[in-house]
Amino acid sequence: MVNLTIDDKQVTAPKTATIYDAAKLNGIKIPILCHDKKLKPFGACRMCLVEVEQMKGRQIPACTTPVTEGMIIRTSTPDIVKARKMVLELLLLNHPLDCPVCDKSGDCDLQNLTYEYKVNSNRFKDEKFNHEIDYNNPLIERDMNRCVLCGKCARICDEIVSFGALTFIDRGIETKIGCEFDDALNCEFCGSCISVCPVGSLLARPFKHKARFWALTKHTSVCGYCGTGCNLTLGVKDNKVLTTIYDENQGFHKGQLCVRGRFGYQFINSTKRLTTPLVKKNNRLVEASWDEALEIVAARLKGGSDVAALATARLTNEELALFKKLLLEDVGTKNFDHAAGYAHAALTEGFARSFGTSASSATIPDIQKSDFLLVIKTDAYETHPVVGFEINMAVKNNGVKLSILSDKKGKLSKLPDAVTLVHRPGSEVAVLNAIAKIILDEKLADGSAEAIPGFAELGQALAAFDADTVATQSGLAAADIKKLAAGYAAADKGLILFPVGQAYAGHTADLASAAANLALLTGNYGKEGCGVLCLSEKNNSQGAVDMGFYAQDGGLNGLQILEACTNGGVKTLFIAGENPLTSYPDRNKVKAALEAVEFLVVSELFLTETAAMADVVLPVCSFAEKEGTFTSTDRRVQFFKPAIRKGAQIRTDFEVFSGLVKCLGGQAPASPAALFGEIAAVTPGYQGLSHVSLRKDGAFAAVSMTPAFVVPKAVAPVAAEQGKLALVIGSALYHSGTLSQYGEGPMHVCQEGYIEVSRSDAAAGKITENDLVTVSSASGSIQLKAKVSLRIPAGVAFAPYHFSNTPVTAIWAGQPVTMVTVSK
Amino acid sequence: MNPITPIINGMAITFKHMFLKPVTLQYPTERPKVAARFRGLHALNVSHDKAKCVACYLCPTVCPAKCITVEAGEDANHDKFATVYEIDMLRCIFCGYCVEACPVDAVRMTGEFELANYDRKDFIYSKERLLEKK
Ligand code: SF4
Ligand code: SF4
Ligand code: SF4
Ligand code: SF4
Ligand code: SF4
Ligand code: FES
Repeated sequence: MVNLTIDDKQVTAPKTATIYDAAKLNGIKIPILCHDKKLKPFGACRMCLVEVEQMKGRQIPACTTPVTEGMIIRTSTPDIVKARKMVLELLLLNHPLDCPVCDKSGDCDLQNLTYEYKVNSNRFKDEKFNHEIDYNNPLIERDMNRCVLCGKCARICDEIVSFGALTFIDRGIETKIGCEFDDALNCEFCGSCISVCPVGSLLARPFKHKARFWALTKHTSVCGYCGTGCNLTLGVKDNKVLTTIYDENQGFHKGQLCVRGRFGYQFINSTKRLTTPLVKKNNRLVEASWDEALEIVAARLKGGSDVAALATARLTNEELALFKKLLLEDVGTKNFDHAAGYAHAALTEGFARSFGTSASSATIPDIQKSDFLLVIKTDAYETHPVVGFEINMAVKNNGVKLSILSDKKGKLSKLPDAVTLVHRPGSEVAVLNAIAKIILDEKLADGSAEAIPGFAELGQALAAFDADTVATQSGLAAADIKKLAAGYAAADKGLILFPVGQAYAGHTADLASAAANLALLTGNYGKEGCGVLCLSEKNNSQGAVDMGFYAQDGGLNGLQILEACTNGGVKTLFIAGENPLTSYPDRNKVKAALEAVEFLVVSELFLTETAAMADVVLPVCSFAEKEGTFTSTDRRVQFFKPAIRKGAQIRTDFEVFSGLVKCLGGQAPASPAALFGEIAAVTPGYQGLSHVSLRKDGAFAAVSMTPAFVVPKAVAPVAAEQGKLALVIGSALYHSGTLSQYGEGPMHVCQEGYIEVSRSDAAAGKITENDLVTVSSASGSIQLKAKVSLRIPAGVAFAPYHFSNTPVTAIWAGQPVTMVTVSK
Repeated sequence: MNPITPIINGMAITFKHMFLKPVTLQYPTERPKVAARFRGLHALNVSHDKAKCVACYLCPTVCPAKCITVEAGEDANHDKFATVYEIDMLRCIFCGYCVEACPVDAVRMTGEFELANYDRKDFIYSKERLLEKK
């Protein structure tokens, strides 16, 4: 700590603070324009000038000058005010008078400062800029005439997003912000640059002229897409969510969002939303009242174990708990599951046996505190982009070492000094086992490991996984595997991350256990910056596991339920918010099952293809219209309230399940809050949590571990076949599950499925970018647009799921790797 | 004072007024003279054949009666314009703040004061009706 005087006030500040930080810490306001607390000091605008007595009263920027002991600082002498006024005058010299038509108005730093410093005339004269405005980009409008060259956009895109789409181009008075060769913007569309731009140079195109900033009511919420659990502020006007608003103090991520969170909100107020219950009569879905619909459903739910249910992990904890109660107690069936029955296995089986708890042993904030990150699959960036930002910052700011084990390269591979081991698809468990064996053989294991049950058996069981054999199988070099093992074992704080999800059939309990073994062997768990973080796919995937909404005690799991539908074992199927035709493997089988089942109920926001096959469709609420809690992938339990009122004939899933409980003669809980009380009492780690206590920030549910070594079974690698590519399915950056198809933002930049192939395979098949190719596998064939990409190794192809218009489930039957032919 | 005197005085005044110019206006045959600063019905100013209004939302924001509805749109040249501009005259208190707030001098108040109507909905002045008063 250093002592200094700011405006005659004795204050202290940490050694690393700048004058600006020190003043802020002590409640003294210094105006800034180009500074952002998330970014490195830059000093471009000179708004923050202050006088330091020791520097002979010279005016120096507060945002870049570190504090020193005994500094005497003045922040607002008449001279400084004069200087700041001049800074503003010079900025306004070329700045257009666009406030009436600029969407930033009301939230604009330049406008606010001009008002605060009463700059109502200008001593100078000059022409305004005449840069061309980019109106064509569907998500980001760039008007460089308004730019004050603070560089924040370019810096955030580099320092946090690590994309580097924007930079200063041209020189002197011509300097502006642009893309390479002054081209169109084609980037991740995370919108971070928009969020930090102090003026209206970068604006969200979907929000263009929709409303004034001051007319929006700001509602904090939790993102309804992926498991990261980012916090959102929704801008609401006239009961419509019109935009998301940046708040730099929100959440662990400091307001950072990805393209889905920032631009994917349109599904909430979509005109395609279901507005009333539908009941099938004469083979057509016709409008019905809630009473009628619920009565029909309740009558069908009396079938006991003939009834089965599939839910999406986008429901709240309260809804999932109530749904489970309805099924177990009132219906009398154990056949229910979520995430296709396998996407949660890493937690419910893998971690359950390896750590004794079905939760991850690390949190997202651990990423920046770690010093060695092992990411399994570069897809971690695509599935959880804001976790990706944390990895970017860990590597770039904290010098954390990053190793990646993946079947293709990806954005994370481009980080400084990142080592990517590209293995043959499907061999990740074998490689992890080989690493475990190396750690054991080379005596790199931590002393604590021997005491963990299963240690002796592990050594024997891993005999088959010597580095050389695995290296040949997986297409890696044995030396690289050894280096990775040594690096991980030597790290003080090692953290392993891997994504799971319905598209990642290979990310099973065995992968989780294989990763867990490494952490247990090296003692990298239960401490800050250590552990294994399973990135679960949906916003409440971890919650669904915590609520126990999966097949247990002999209940049928997700895929078995569909099979039972086909062979008549299940007669009534209740699907809550899931669209298995697009999100479960093997579309033909799913279709046959949905056709075969006697009675199908679907509760949904939209009339999806699955809902269109239903006998009863119940219109339900999005996250913005209900209250409850979501548990993020690192077990942060977060409460959210409705941001808008729901439609007259729309109910929350909670109300639907309560209604059904009552119809079946049971006792429904009074409110989500009351039910959460019950949940907190019985769910491990949730003790002491309540809606009231979570109201402000949310809280981590404690994870208590009882470690054990488990021998993970490695699947035999899929044999390469002449003329065929090994297709791996996954997630695209712009999408999450099937919901983002209804968010206009993501659809502007990625409308349909595609297949990514390597350059050499493309050349061999004479395939060029955007060609329509036919992809065929043993289970079917489909036409997809081709993308020729440098990141894909020869012999491999990648396709995202998500899309109902181009469902890859038609060619993918749930294997981790599918052999396909790709032809034009 | 003789009780009859005030009555006579009163009669005298009455008699005198029979020869003076009457103060009452024979409305509607006679029209009042409306001062230039009078605040009557609004009008939207026009320039280059377009309403000047750029849909900045300052007038609906400042309006104390919350009777102005503006909705913004983007025209073919990417300029902002008001797709909807409506004033509910039943709620307007003719304070003139809207005129004062407008940064582009797009709205003014005319001398028009005859705003009576038969139907409530006719008191909602749409953009077209406000533009008619050139
Ligand atoms: S949207 Fe994101 S990736 Fe694109 S330029 Fe802005 S910060 Fe960079
Ligand atoms: S576009 Fe915005 S954020 Fe980027 S330099 Fe200009 S003013 Fe700063
Ligand atoms: S989709 Fe995931 S990463 Fe993106 S904003 Fe939402 S929670 Fe965050
Ligand atoms: S005159 Fe006053 S009350 Fe009437 S529309 Fe204008 S601001 Fe509103
Ligand atoms: S203040 Fe003027 S420019 Fe703005 S909306 Fe009202 S009339 Fe239009
Ligand atoms: S805020 Fe300090 S120079 Fe811009």
